[in-house]
Amino acid sequence: MRFADAVEFALGSLRKRRLRTFLTASGVMIGIGALVSMISFGKGMQKNVTDAFKASDLLSTLVVMPGGAEPPAGDPDRQRPRAKVPARPDVVLDDQAVAAIAKIPGVLRAYPDISFPAMVGYEGAEELRLIQVVPAAVAASRSMKITWGRAYASDEEAGVVVSRSLLRRMGTSDPASAVGKTIRITSVSVDLGRLATLDLGSILSGTASPLAQESYDFPILGVTDVAPFGGEANLTESGVLIPPGPAGRIKRLPITSIWDLFRMKGGRLGYSAVTVKLGSLGDLGAVRSKVHDMGYATFALADQFDEITRAFYVMDMVLAAVGMIAIIVAALGIVNTMVMSILERFREIGIMKAVGAGDRDIRRIFFFESGAIGFAGGAAGCVLGWVTSLVINRVVNFYLARQGMPFVNYFAFPFWIFLGAVGFSLLVSLVSGIYPARRASRVDPVVALRHD
Amino acid sequence: MNPPAPPLIETRSLSKTYLVGDVRVAALADVTLAVPEGSFLAVTGASGSGKSTLLNLLGGLDTPSAGTIEVGGALVSAMDREALARYRRFAAGMIFQSFNLVAARTALENVELPLIFAGVNRTERKRRAAELLGKVGLAHRANHRPPELSGGEQQRVAVARALANGPRLLLADEPTGNLDSRTSREIVGLLAGLNRERNLTIIMVSHEEGLVREFAREIVRLQDGRIVAAESPA
Ligand SMILES: Nc1ncnc2c1ncn2[C@@H]1O[C@H](COP(=O)(O)OP(=O)(O)OP(=O)(O)O)[C@@H](O)[C@H]1O
Ligand SMILES: [Mg+2]
Repeated sequence: MRFADAVEFALGSLRKRRLRTFLTASGVMIGIGALVSMISFGKGMQKNVTDAFKASDLLSTLVVMPGGAEPPAGDPDRQRPRAKVPARPDVVLDDQAVAAIAKIPGVLRAYPDISFPAMVGYEGAEELRLIQVVPAAVAASRSMKITWGRAYASDEEAGVVVSRSLLRRMGTSDPASAVGKTIRITSVSVDLGRLATLDLGSILSGTASPLAQESYDFPILGVTDVAPFGGEANLTESGVLIPPGPAGRIKRLPITSIWDLFRMKGGRLGYSAVTVKLGSLGDLGAVRSKVHDMGYATFALADQFDEITRAFYVMDMVLAAVGMIAIIVAALGIVNTMVMSILERFREIGIMKAVGAGDRDIRRIFFFESGAIGFAGGAAGCVLGWVTSLVINRVVNFYLARQGMPFVNYFAFPFWIFLGAVGFSLLVSLVSGIYPARRASRVDPVVALRHD
Repeated sequence: MNPPAPPLIETRSLSKTYLVGDVRVAALADVTLAVPEGSFLAVTGASGSGKSTLLNLLGGLDTPSAGTIEVGGALVSAMDREALARYRRFAAGMIFQSFNLVAARTALENVELPLIFAGVNRTERKRRAAELLGKVGLAHRANHRPPELSGGEQQRVAVARALANGPRLLLADEPTGNLDSRTSREIVGLLAGLNRERNLTIIMVSHEEGLVREFAREIVRLQDGRIVAAESPA
């Protein structure tokens, strides 16, 4: 029997049982559709995160930390995992150290992470926030997405950049309108005058406090938008960025959290971290070892990147496993349909054998039948998966847009997904066809032809 | 007198037993038979005497429990499944009481079936199938499906199909069992014509004494799976 004839036989008998063929292929379509959208979702997440990493300069960022008591795990102040190379306990991360780090070849910029808690007031609303002190060069860099207004032009300009989410929390839905308006920062400091008049007893018992509040007004120069994946979270989540110049004039406590007090060495409290921007990822190793030699610990997101990639691999597996359940159901559907078809065509199989069909011919016809179901279902499943993801993407983006998230493609469709899905579907259907095809080829013509 | 033609078919001690529960049913027992090429042999006998069993064995649809079958020098009884399929395809055509046409296929497509399994290309097999339908007088019914054909017409399509790959042997199991007497006579007449003109060897199971005596040249009678009588009416 020729290949083309076997295909024609198979298609002919599928056409004869249109409804059943359609239903069985629909099962495959749904299974493959689920698998395609699951995998494309996994790929989409991976692509978004990877792209966000690559677009921002996070990968070429090194965080330098001094030794000393690290905040305990579980403390909200503890933002980073423990460093692999521990810092020497005696070194302090001060301005001198920052200047020294900035001079290491390959380092583009080094700036301390400075933040302080303050009450932020805007148009009558108030929020307690960490104010982040960020140099102008960093605020203007591409990792900072300032969508409305602009970044401050110099480290001395009196003005701040706020995040869109902070504005929303404070009741402003139109970020553009906030540019040019005034924000009030109220900080807490130790009032030395009052400290002198209070007695130690009442300070320790908490009935009187030497602390004073002072307010400062700044114009809003720009508004940052959130990057949906990655992005410089620690910079934007604080909500308010201020250049070092005006920040220095704000009277405040030199600590962000109580843990800072344990890092004090010889009465000196250095910075809790210094962010180092590298010219290229290639310099990471060299810069890092120099920083370690100086006695500091480091943390690089590039280290995490491999782990993230591995995590995505696991996520793909889980999504594929969910999709596989649908495929297994579809495969059982194919087996069921084909076995039914054998029972119905029992006599026809007997006739074909009587006129000279070999076991192999019968096997082929049935095999091609289930293969055709798989192929059609797989191709339709690709379309279904694709359309479904488009719809989900639209809907999700529609709702997230209300919350100020920018449009993002949550699904990615590299071409191999489609090829792989159709190929896989074909494979599954052929495997499903093995048993029915074997069974059909074993039909005894004498039994099949015995008159009814 | 000519030397006797070498037999096309030779069976030796052919037996077929079925096991029904614990009981062994001998459908065919110790049948030794030689059929020369060009014979028109009728097989008669009561219902259950083993006629269909004998034909299925000769046609390669079934395998014997004991004994041998040789057809045209080939040992059919020793063939594996694939060789038997080839034997059915090329060497032995079969027709049945219930015609056994594929209802969803047209007359022409039914005749094409053996050619498809023989790997004949499309145009060639369409041509050959049409020619065969013409030979059995059904050229005008080529595109009709079996349900649209009379019993006689269906049996003619079956004959055309049985001859598609040019076998030397045609096995007919009660081919007129579902036909009226006039149509029966036409069908057996058609077979007799093929036997005369093409020297086609025909073995036909039939109950109808009249037709058998008119057309067959040898008759064997089966009883309980054994040959009990053989005669040559003409
Ligand atoms: N598959 C089977 N299992 C058990 N017994 C069988 C089987 N096939 C046939 N037989 C038995 O073998 C015997 C011969 O059957 P066969 O069909 O050859 O008879 P037949 O001469 O063709 O009868 P009929 O004229 O009714 O067609 C019968 O007794 C039948 O019951
Ligand atoms: Mg019978």
